[in-house]
Amino acid sequence: MRMSEERWGRPDASMSLLADLFAGRVADPGYAEAAARREPGASPRPGRAGVFLALLVVGLLLVVAGAQVRRSEPALQRQRERLIDDIRARTAETDGLQRRLDGLRGQTERLRAAALARSDEGRRVRDALNRAGAAAAAQAVDGSALQVTIDDDPGGSVAGRIYDQDLQLLVNGLWAAGARAIGVNGQRLTATTAIRTAGAAILVDYRPLTPPYVVTALGDPGSLGSGLTGSAAGDRFRMLHDRYHTRFDVHQEGEARLPAAEALRLRYASPLGEP
Amino acid sequence: MIALIGLVAGVVLGFVLEPTVPLWLQPYLPIAIVAALDAMFGGVRAKLDGIFDDKVFVVSFLSNAVISAMIVFLGDQLGVGSQLSTGVVVVLGIRIFSNAAAIRRKLLGA
Repeated sequence: MRMSEERWGRPDASMSLLADLFAGRVADPGYAEAAARREPGASPRPGRAGVFLALLVVGLLLVVAGAQVRRSEPALQRQRERLIDDIRARTAETDGLQRRLDGLRGQTERLRAAALARSDEGRRVRDALNRAGAAAAAQAVDGSALQVTIDDDPGGSVAGRIYDQDLQLLVNGLWAAGARAIGVNGQRLTATTAIRTAGAAILVDYRPLTPPYVVTALGDPGSLGSGLTGSAAGDRFRMLHDRYHTRFDVHQEGEARLPAAEALRLRYASPLGEP
Repeated sequence: MIALIGLVAGVVLGFVLEPTVPLWLQPYLPIAIVAALDAMFGGVRAKLDGIFDDKVFVVSFLSNAVISAMIVFLGDQLGVGSQLSTGVVVVLGIRIFSNAAAIRRKLLGA
């Protein structure tokens, strides 16, 4: 009784874990108390059925927990494999649908061309449609091109990184120099395609790009080249190359092809029958 | 000696019976084991100190396992179950380590 008074006498008795730890007294005080309760000199009672049962339970718990963990491992593995299979199946499904869409689109294109070719009026509409399609990046285009390759400083310096703003400036410079169509790493740009940054990656149309960035501009390579050289974009990239060793290669391509931009979304027009 | 026999018997029984743990009990099993280990090391240390008492051992074993499981259960109800399990493991882990250190000092003299 005296001992327990001592223990609870301190105002911080309930928070004494750290103090006890530093004093090296973390052992359960119950044993010391029980020893003090016994008459001095009496030997401790020998272990009895309680101890046996308690340790039986400890052993049982250990084995059960071990078995549990081992049992749940293959289950988790199976679950993950099922998910991966699911992802693969869905990806294949999407690819199939995309191929079917491409095929149907090509078929529509051919049928429309055939229908429009029947009359003078139709041919005029077809030419207008072609011009509008090229301007909206709805059709694949080919022709001579100027190809600009930019990349981060190979030394890996932070100052020598290419950012979305640099890419925007280059693309705008090429539009200003008279490009008919522009693609970045094979991805066609439309008038509304966003070039943004997310984390460390540059996104074009919300798809991440991997460096180096190859910007292909269709048009007369000579005039495109001279237009770019004289523009703010050209000055900036030469300066970046000289000062931060970023890559800036310009070369002329005799024959280049850019695909149609993906997923042309209608903004104001809607199919008949839909609000 | 009887304690060691009990431990071995428990392990054998576990391997033979292979009981399955109900799902609602699974989160509390590891915590109960840590609490049981704490009581076990405390008992071994008391044994070496010559002050072992079977009643204290059984009571501390049962109360440790039940209270730690209850704390985690309460934490689960409050949405801080994993944090409270961490707390329980830290506190009991400190005790296990210091008891193991005391046992080591007693047995190996270092």
